[in-house]
Amino acid sequence: MELNTKFMIETFFDALAGIPVTLKLTLITLLVSAPIAFFMALGKIEKRKIAGKLISGYVSFIRGTPVVLQILFLYSLLPTLLNYLVKDVLGLSFNVFQLDTILYAYIVFVLNTTAVLSEVFRSALLTVGHGQMETALTIGMTKRQAYIRIIIPQAVVSALPNICNATIGLLKSTSLAFMMSVQDVTAIAKVKAAYGYNYIEAYLDICFVYIVLCSAIQLVFKLIERYACAYKKSSRTKGGALYARNKEYI
Amino acid sequence: MLEIKNIYKAFGNNEVLKGVSLKVEKGDVVVILGPSGSGKTTLLRSIDFLEKADAGEIIFDDIHAEFARISKKTISQIRKKTAFVFQNYNLFHNKTALQNVTEGLIIARKLPKEKAIEIGKRALDKVGLSERYDYYPSQLSGGQQQRVGIARAIAVNPDIILFDEPTSALDPELIGEVLGVMKELAKEGTTMIVVTHEMHFAQDVANRVVFMDGGRVVEEGTPDEMFSRPKEERTRQFLRRILPDFDYVI
Amino acid sequence: MRSFHPSYILEVLIQLLPFLWVTVAMVIGTVFFGGAVGILLAAAKVRKGRITRLLANIYIYITRCIPSVIMLFIVYYGLPELLLGFGIDINHVGKGFFVITTFSILFAANMAEVFRSAYEAVDKGQKEAAASIGMTSWQTFYRILLPQCTVVALPNFANALVNLMKEGSLAYTIGLIDIMGKGQLLIGMNHGSYALETYLALTILYWVLTFVVEKSFGVLEKHLSKGKKALSQA
Repeated sequence: MELNTKFMIETFFDALAGIPVTLKLTLITLLVSAPIAFFMALGKIEKRKIAGKLISGYVSFIRGTPVVLQILFLYSLLPTLLNYLVKDVLGLSFNVFQLDTILYAYIVFVLNTTAVLSEVFRSALLTVGHGQMETALTIGMTKRQAYIRIIIPQAVVSALPNICNATIGLLKSTSLAFMMSVQDVTAIAKVKAAYGYNYIEAYLDICFVYIVLCSAIQLVFKLIERYACAYKKSSRTKGGALYARNKEYI
Repeated sequence: MLEIKNIYKAFGNNEVLKGVSLKVEKGDVVVILGPSGSGKTTLLRSIDFLEKADAGEIIFDDIHAEFARISKKTISQIRKKTAFVFQNYNLFHNKTALQNVTEGLIIARKLPKEKAIEIGKRALDKVGLSERYDYYPSQLSGGQQQRVGIARAIAVNPDIILFDEPTSALDPELIGEVLGVMKELAKEGTTMIVVTHEMHFAQDVANRVVFMDGGRVVEEGTPDEMFSRPKEERTRQFLRRILPDFDYVI
Repeated sequence: MRSFHPSYILEVLIQLLPFLWVTVAMVIGTVFFGGAVGILLAAAKVRKGRITRLLANIYIYITRCIPSVIMLFIVYYGLPELLLGFGIDINHVGKGFFVITTFSILFAANMAEVFRSAYEAVDKGQKEAAASIGMTSWQTFYRILLPQCTVVALPNFANALVNLMKEGSLAYTIGLIDIMGKGQLLIGMNHGSYALETYLALTILYWVLTFVVEKSFGVLEKHLSKGKKALSQA
């Protein structure tokens, strides 16, 4: 097998032009999803009956179906639905089909990521433990104060590895955005490949770009973790046995 | 000062408190003894509303309320008059020793920060931790953590401090330092209710000992009465098991 | 807006069901081959050999970063050419082969982590205790470690299985006719109409599949961890 290395190098740099779109998709989706997901997790933990049921159903539905199917479904539903709403219900002359299709990508990925993150947050909030909440209440804090000052800061730290995983998962699923004609890394490389039938080279390029992006994300999370875990430092003054025991409470 | 009348509490079908009454006057050190499962911890937790009691009354100075229908406001009023020391310390893992102590002052009691830090440092000095202000819980030994827990309790200047088996999670060699601090507090006239298995503490420090079994108060009296002339057979059995050299006079 | 025919969903479901076995076969094949490679990778990670551990780590790191759809294309377009270089012609081999190869590569990395964390979750004392009563290392593994590891690994395994099933739906992009592929064919045959109904039918089918997998693993876990619970309650 011979690879067209010249093509491969050229396309690699062309594909780099898609990185901003890929990163934008990942970051904005995360920023929009995180707060929603947090309140969903809270709704489940605080045992709001109806809300809890609805959230559970939503999460199970999203996590039970393939992303690609969600993309195909929403991409065939949303434009016509929007068009109907704008033209027939609101009576506007705005052409929905001129909208940037990245909008639909955002909708799909936000729907997905809220479900994933809400589970991440829920388990993180649960690991903080009941004792911390009780103590906050006994010293006279309100529940809201306890959440903001005690529970959430600890939950975020314990959630970091899983948030990192969710981010990588999201980054990888943005590679499907080409199905919605979004010009991301994958779409650009695919178009280049079609000229001279250099598919393998193009896909290997995409792989390299994803490995770089994925490494960058992991690096960023490592740094955040190091910064946020100040309180997890082990005892410097005492022996290892002590550290081992205290770890249980972290 | 504090009176509990006829408190009932069940977890599902398991009745843990079957009509317990308890009266505490200012300056009292009440030690509650009893086998595990006798309901002593539940009683203590119910006084601070960490468990919701099913029936009974609580009278705290001029506050008079029923457990079954108590308002959030009353709970918060009573919690501001009390402090709780937990078996497993329950320090906030994401806060330093000093922050653990000042948190309740600044957030729940709205003290200015400088004032809170001043009080907090004084409280930590009192429990012998003037060298450990900026240590995180994970950097402290169990005994030191529990002393921070006690400092957190005294800092809010409560009318009464509730101790829930404060030494039972500690290694034997660390128990002394915590009991020493508690003894000191008792000498200063702090009102305390202590659930513990430390018989010597009960003998030396308490002015009243309550023996509970099966969700009821079996017997109560001065340490002298309880340890040398217990009236009830169940009390004798318990003391004989706990104190091998127990030898009562009839 | 085009009208929507809920009744067509049922009609599609009936036409999709005969292709369910392709999806299931793909999953089983991948679990078999990917699982086997996963065990090797996990073994490489927990053993002392430095180079094998490094290689296993690199493998896991890289596969973790590559989107499934890209991996699928690379294997589908690249593998035949690569093998042709060694004089092996697989151009006429069925698409299922490429799908199972792709997902085995990815699944193996997941499994390696599942196996490793399960192995490490079991207390070292268990091994020492077994040695102290004279068990051989194979007996220790088979009779003491494996049963305990299985319980620990089960939830993660179920999770990986569900993910595999969902990612497997991408196989239609290289033309495999599983339920997803058949769905696309139906939409094509109807010239794009009834697309929504078809996608909904597929959604329901996947949701049910996930539900069945999760529930059965839940039951299995409960059954296997019986001893554990009785112990902790005592």
